[in-house]
Amino acid sequence: MELGEVYLVSGKRTPHAKAGLDLADVAAPFLGTYLLTYLLDSHAIPASAIDEVIIGNIGAPAKYANVSRVIALEAGLDESVSAYTVHRNCASGMEAMSQAFLKIACGRADLIMAGGVESMTQMPLMFGKDMTDLFMNIMKAKKVPDKLKALKAFRPGHLAPVIAIEQGLTDPFEGINMGQTAELIARELGITREEQDLYANNSHHKAAAAMESGRMAEEILPITVGKKLSKILANDVGPRNNSTIEGLAKLKPFFEKKSGTVTVGNSCPITDGGSLFLMASAEAVKKHNLEPIARMVDFHFNGLSPARMGMGPLVAMDGLFKRSGFTLDQMDKVEINEAFAAQILGVKKGFTDKKVADAYKVDKLWGELPDEKLNVSGGAIALGHPVGSSGSRIVLTLAHNLMQSKQKYGIASLCIGGGQGGAVIIENLVK
Amino acid sequence: MTYNRIKLEVVDRIAQVGFGLNSKKSMTTLDKETLEEFDRLVKELKTIADKREIDGVIFHSLIPGVFLAGADIDLISTLKSETEAQKGAEVGQTIYSNIEDLPVPTVACVDGVCLGGGLEMALSCTNIIASNSSKTMLGLPEVKLGFIPGFGGTYRLPRKVGLPTSLDMILTGKTLNSRKAKKVGLVAAAFPPERLLVQAPNFFKNQQRVKSGKEKLEDILTDNMVAKKLIFQKARESVLKKTKGVYHAPLKILDVMENNLGKSRPAYLKAESQAFGELCVGVQSQNLQHIFFLNEGAKKYSGPKGEGKNIDLKRGAVLGAGTMGGGIAWLMATQGMFPLMKDITSDALELGLKQSSANFSQLVKRRKMTFDQFEKKQRSIRPTMNFDGFKTVDLVIEAIVENMEIKKSVLKELEDNLAADAVITSNTSSLSIQEMCSDLTDSSRFAGLHFFNPVNRMPLVEIITHDKVSPEVVEALYRWVVKCKKVPVVVGDGPGFLVNRILMPFLNEAAYLLNEGVSIEDLDEAATNFGMPMGPCRLMDEVGLDVAAKVADIMFKGLGKRMTPADLSGKMMEHGFLGRKNSKGFYLYDSHGKESGINSNCVSLLPKRNSRMDEREMQLRLFLPMINEAATILDDKIVTDAGKVDLGLIMGLGFPPFRGGLLRYADSEGLTLILKEIKRLAGSADAERFRPAEYLVKLVDEGRNFYQS
Repeated sequence: MELGEVYLVSGKRTPHAKAGLDLADVAAPFLGTYLLTYLLDSHAIPASAIDEVIIGNIGAPAKYANVSRVIALEAGLDESVSAYTVHRNCASGMEAMSQAFLKIACGRADLIMAGGVESMTQMPLMFGKDMTDLFMNIMKAKKVPDKLKALKAFRPGHLAPVIAIEQGLTDPFEGINMGQTAELIARELGITREEQDLYANNSHHKAAAAMESGRMAEEILPITVGKKLSKILANDVGPRNNSTIEGLAKLKPFFEKKSGTVTVGNSCPITDGGSLFLMASAEAVKKHNLEPIARMVDFHFNGLSPARMGMGPLVAMDGLFKRSGFTLDQMDKVEINEAFAAQILGVKKGFTDKKVADAYKVDKLWGELPDEKLNVSGGAIALGHPVGSSGSRIVLTLAHNLMQSKQKYGIASLCIGGGQGGAVIIENLVK
Repeated sequence: MTYNRIKLEVVDRIAQVGFGLNSKKSMTTLDKETLEEFDRLVKELKTIADKREIDGVIFHSLIPGVFLAGADIDLISTLKSETEAQKGAEVGQTIYSNIEDLPVPTVACVDGVCLGGGLEMALSCTNIIASNSSKTMLGLPEVKLGFIPGFGGTYRLPRKVGLPTSLDMILTGKTLNSRKAKKVGLVAAAFPPERLLVQAPNFFKNQQRVKSGKEKLEDILTDNMVAKKLIFQKARESVLKKTKGVYHAPLKILDVMENNLGKSRPAYLKAESQAFGELCVGVQSQNLQHIFFLNEGAKKYSGPKGEGKNIDLKRGAVLGAGTMGGGIAWLMATQGMFPLMKDITSDALELGLKQSSANFSQLVKRRKMTFDQFEKKQRSIRPTMNFDGFKTVDLVIEAIVENMEIKKSVLKELEDNLAADAVITSNTSSLSIQEMCSDLTDSSRFAGLHFFNPVNRMPLVEIITHDKVSPEVVEALYRWVVKCKKVPVVVGDGPGFLVNRILMPFLNEAAYLLNEGVSIEDLDEAATNFGMPMGPCRLMDEVGLDVAAKVADIMFKGLGKRMTPADLSGKMMEHGFLGRKNSKGFYLYDSHGKESGINSNCVSLLPKRNSRMDEREMQLRLFLPMINEAATILDDKIVTDAGKVDLGLIMGLGFPPFRGGLLRYADSEGLTLILKEIKRLAGSADAERFRPAEYLVKLVDEGRNFYQS
């Protein structure tokens, strides 16, 4: 079967803000609706021309089941437009793009809105199993004495909430949380605290520079925020131009309190945000007179040990290079999601160190990944990691970085909780 | 018997009476023919019920969304004398009493609008059930037209919902949705519209509603003479407070209801129909009916039609995010237009968002909207600092700073960023529309669209035309304004257009009066006693002294000596008294924007001598220049007829409705007298400001008045 070309017409993202800050009042769908309306408007595409909306989201807000459909309708799309939500942990936004890619490439769709949204602030507190059981028993009891009997089982401890976000960031298979997987990589690959802090510090300064130069603003669409919805947030809340290595060095390890090296300073913060692409077939590009910013070349997902999920990009990029015939050398820019500095440094090692590559069953050393290619506008350590969105956000940032440097190819990749990696190669079309 | 306007069929021993048969109108009303048929039909019902052919009667509507919108107002407006009007009411009363006296039970199935004579009909049934559709509303709005419900409504409503609720409904004319109607006991139950007819037979029995403890307590407290007297007294106080006693109808209604409380049905109904006769041919009701017709007339576009196809204004944008821009964005958001709001800084955009948010918050507070709806609508406004997405816009309203050069260059830039068929408008309040579009490549798609502040409260929108504007564009704007539930008036280009041009002589004359030593309080009181919602000083505070001065200057330049500004606002501005916007004007305002008394520092700018002036004289000084200017406006063909002037001033300025409008007031006073007083003031006050308009002189010479021209 011959596959058609798939174009990224354009994309936008919300500014990012650490959970609980400026975007705290914005429910997940509203991180996407205005992006969708904007993309539709700015290309003057009729609301009925969109074939599908695919959105990555992990929090699955109880009030907005299938958040993608909510976004589609709220943004004013025609009721006939299909919409669904996908969940591949941290790569959900990339999964959305990948599904759109397949549907467009094989000719089933011409125009798809794909991306991700995540309000980590609004992830719920839940009652624990004891309390839910108690509620069930009270509801089942028909008579008052039975109800009282059921109620007698109540203990104050039952009220302790289960924090959804904490559970989500704990591997259900290994029972360790994501920070601990980063600690494991740091230990096994000998990555020091100093290397991690240095990397994190650079991330902040690169992001701050991109913000100050106005470069970052090109990918961001300002959003209405505040309790009264009368404020505008136009920039990321997070990157610190006054970050210092000394400052970072003062932080205590968070996940392994005594001997660990992973701190909140060299990990990504829990963040709210969304990102969205308008993706199109060659036919749609012609029909609507579009000028795409990039072409999506291909994608790949790959699994690995859940306890070492941070090395996901290594196996995913390896797989994608082999699938597409490209090499790391041919990539002008590389965007790897910075879940943890330790994990990024581990991936870099896997490209040059045969022992590391072997351990992850990667049979080819792809060579040095120079700093000037990697995350040139900073990464999630500074910008944050809204889990449902990051997969598409890094592709957006990559596309903009390629545009600015007038280069051709780039790869975006990220590690995925649960032990997977995902990667996407794009070709810049803006001369 | 056969019927042309009402459908009667008997199904399973139940008579179904359907209103709206062969109706071509969107609203079913009780016109002459329908009333005559209804009378016959109810008599037939009695006959077949007496023969035991039916077990009950169901009244419903054949038109979804309208049950009965009341008596036909065209019919009411033809009533000439008190006796004729009283007889008219008795016709309806008799039909409804006959329904009430039927030997079989009756149920009204209300889906949609059920007002006035429609609700009075339903009240004569054993039970009312309603559809839970959002269109369903029940009420007795007669008081708004200056008369009393005349088909037994004031007799039956208190019996259904109790005295306090019925007084509230009858005296304010407010309507209830099905949920509220159920709550107060007006309807027995609410169902989806499709289920009404099936459910109706279940309500043939007069079900005793189970009353809550609170309601029982209320009954005990209100069901005695002393309590009732107190309730009437409170209602009277509230009416006097709200209307300052200028409206006759609510007071008359109170009289009828209080004096005839507990009387037999015939005696009560007689008093009601008498009051109806008296009120509905009275001057006030005639004036209010006049406005009703003006308003209804304004809902249809009657200007010139173009050859081109209809332009549909679906997507909106506003330039400039100030108070007006934010208000307009709000309006567009309520209409589902996903408006773009453009300004040059983020701070400016936030001001616009704040305005829109404040407007929505009022709706949330009054429970007209949920917070979720507010969030969706408010978020549908996209603030932006560039023209991204403007190609999808059908209507742009410019509301930036009032400066001709800036406006011209912004409009030029805008034109390049829009689709070729998008309509461009300016919300300018005083700049020339003709000149503003002189640089546009296609000025046929440009017009003025002047909203009044605050946008969410003021109904009037002036649509300002110019030489090149296409009729399609004017019509599209007209339809859009009507769709937004605002009142459009098409006006020609000229300084101040319609409303501000008539307002300015009023404000200016007020300033002259202050300079002559009249006190702020006396002046404002003279205006409010005439019926104005606020006096000229308070109004200048609202508008802002700086804005008023600027507009006054434009008028002076455009219209000449009769608009020579009084030397007061300049002095006020020098002392930093700008009005409400900086909490200091003629009055002082506290941090919550609440007025806290006269600004004594402002008083010291005025002459010391306190010359008291007769109130009537002050009113003449204030209102005659308005009438005079309105005459010139008609002469200049700024608007087509006197009705447009009156509608504009009532909807845009709050000119007292019971006076029927400025020019109707002038007509009722007599133009000869008006001219005589103007000439007198030309001698005693100022020859230029009171130079009689040629058109006015002509009307007097020809023995005509404004509405006969």
